[in-house]
Amino acid sequence: MYPATSDTRNQAAMNFTLAVYAAPHASQSAATALRFAQALLRQGHQLYRVFFYCDGVHNGSSLATPPQDETDLLPAWQSLQAEHGLDLVVCIAAAQRRGVLSEAEAKRLERPAANLAPGFELAGLGQLADAVAHSDRLVTFGS
Amino acid sequence: MSLHIVSKSPFSSTALADCLTSFIEGDALVLIEDGVYALSGALKSQPVVGPVYCLAADAQARGLTIPAAVEAIDDDRWASLCTEHNPIVSWFR
Repeated sequence: MYPATSDTRNQAAMNFTLAVYAAPHASQSAATALRFAQALLRQGHQLYRVFFYCDGVHNGSSLATPPQDETDLLPAWQSLQAEHGLDLVVCIAAAQRRGVLSEAEAKRLERPAANLAPGFELAGLGQLADAVAHSDRLVTFGS
Repeated sequence: MSLHIVSKSPFSSTALADCLTSFIEGDALVLIEDGVYALSGALKSQPVVGPVYCLAADAQARGLTIPAAVEAIDDDRWASLCTEHNPIVSWFR
């Protein structure tokens, strides 16, 4: 049984995958995805994977520097990743054309810098298909 | 039964209208982000044949009052709704 103090944990735990299509600077959606992830984990559910796709790959950039009076989502994703061992996957094809590169990719593509944030990794769309196959629920956060 | 999530305003997008064309009995609707602007009229002209929920924080941030027919929810309740429905369909175009 779950602790009596937390009545939200009484339901059966499920495996979730989130697909994030929105850049953190473009709409509210990226922030909503983060809050939803926090709510799921608070309730004792598992996050099988968070897949950042299309403009959502910008969530994995370590170079974005929002003004001080705006929320910076990156440290929040990273602390959630560290605490729960989350699989934060950035679509490699979408990332390349938007300039989100790991050290290895920057070297391979002969680019002057890498900016994929620690805690994130690049992988192909197959990882989204795999996640859908292994999850009870897929929730998409649009652009 | 599906959980439909609408995140765009009915004044700028067909997301809500598109969602309601595929909405069937047993489904539920969650209004989030700019989707909460549906509270200011759109839902009266297009009745929904199922429960309608609205993220209270998003409605409050936009100065909208949530009518009695719509249930105000927080993120935790939203997450629970996602366990009670399958699939989860997001409408954002």
